[in-house]
Amino acid sequence: MGGTESISTGAAAQDDLYRDAADKYGSSLERLASAYEADPEKRRDLSQDIHFQLWRSFQRFDARCSLRTWVYRVAHHVAASHVLRERKIFSKLVSLEELEMLPDKDQGQFAADQRRNLERLSVLIQQLKPLDRQVIISYLEDMDAVSIGEITGLSPGNVGMRIHRIKNILARRFHEGGDHAE
Amino acid sequence: MPNDSSRNDPRTIWQNQPTEPSIMTLEKIRQKTQELHTKTRRALLGGITVSLLVVGISAYGIAWADGPGVRAVFAFAIAWSLAGQYFVNRGIWSATLPGDAALSTGLESYRREVERRRYLSGRFLLWSFGPVVLAIATLIVLILSFGIRNRGMLLKGTLLNMIPFLALVVIWIVSVFVIRMRDQRELQREIDDLNDIERAIR
Repeated sequence: MGGTESISTGAAAQDDLYRDAADKYGSSLERLASAYEADPEKRRDLSQDIHFQLWRSFQRFDARCSLRTWVYRVAHHVAASHVLRERKIFSKLVSLEELEMLPDKDQGQFAADQRRNLERLSVLIQQLKPLDRQVIISYLEDMDAVSIGEITGLSPGNVGMRIHRIKNILARRFHEGGDHAE
Repeated sequence: MPNDSSRNDPRTIWQNQPTEPSIMTLEKIRQKTQELHTKTRRALLGGITVSLLVVGISAYGIAWADGPGVRAVFAFAIAWSLAGQYFVNRGIWSATLPGDAALSTGLESYRREVERRRYLSGRFLLWSFGPVVLAIATLIVLILSFGIRNRGMLLKGTLLNMIPFLALVVIWIVSVFVIRMRDQRELQREIDDLNDIERAIR
């Protein structure tokens, strides 16, 4: 009897935690899915998979880390596994260092509207290897180096260096592109 | 209306993108659980099909072979394939659970996943592909020896008759091997990159 009660209490807590996380981070998770999968149909599947695995993960949530860190760790793990499963061959994905060296194909044809910029940003993120993707997505979600370090396992110094690189790349792709258009 | 700098700010662009929030309802969870079971069944059936193929070819070979040596090779292929089922499936079921992923950092869980994929790829070549190749190769030898002994054909003539089949088999074996080896190399390169990152942050 007691056992049944604790199971149902556990299940209710799991549902509550999931609902709380989905309310707080639902939009961020959708953006995260879009950073890992360009195809809309597959993106919907990936998004559902992230939510499902998140719901499952809350069976073991012990508040050892913050809800946000937990949510992003699970989401990035599911999304990175998706990249590996889909065999988006690594040789086609690049690291931040390699991305810095790549010329921007669109430079000079910059159109300063939100949709175009978003497409450019998404394409740029989808070229990156999963770990660098985790950093750039977290940066775009306004997280600081310490929070990103908690999620990725990189040291704050290393995260800081990567963010610096990301900022340079983004500045080059966005602001310089804008200047070209003007 | 947003000004030019906010229109070009990647964080503003990123956070203002339109999204369709999806929430897991109980109905969706049930559906997903069902899908997960179906996927698991499909993965199991895939493995069993390969084993059945090996068992089928080997049983045919054992029935036709008259020497104990060839029969032993076929029996070995069956045993190898059945043992392979255990080893390959053990790798599949050891996938990281979502709770474990949350308890470790992105770097750790990603590394585990890449290593698991590399391990599975190696297991596939050794425990699934190996027995199939052995069974087919032994069957080819059996057919060749049958042609030479019972029909009085020369080795060259028998081989010429079998060229289309042999060519297909060779192309298939080489393709599977090359693709899997390329996958393994890429996964190994990724592990090396992760090692470099870990060394850098220590």
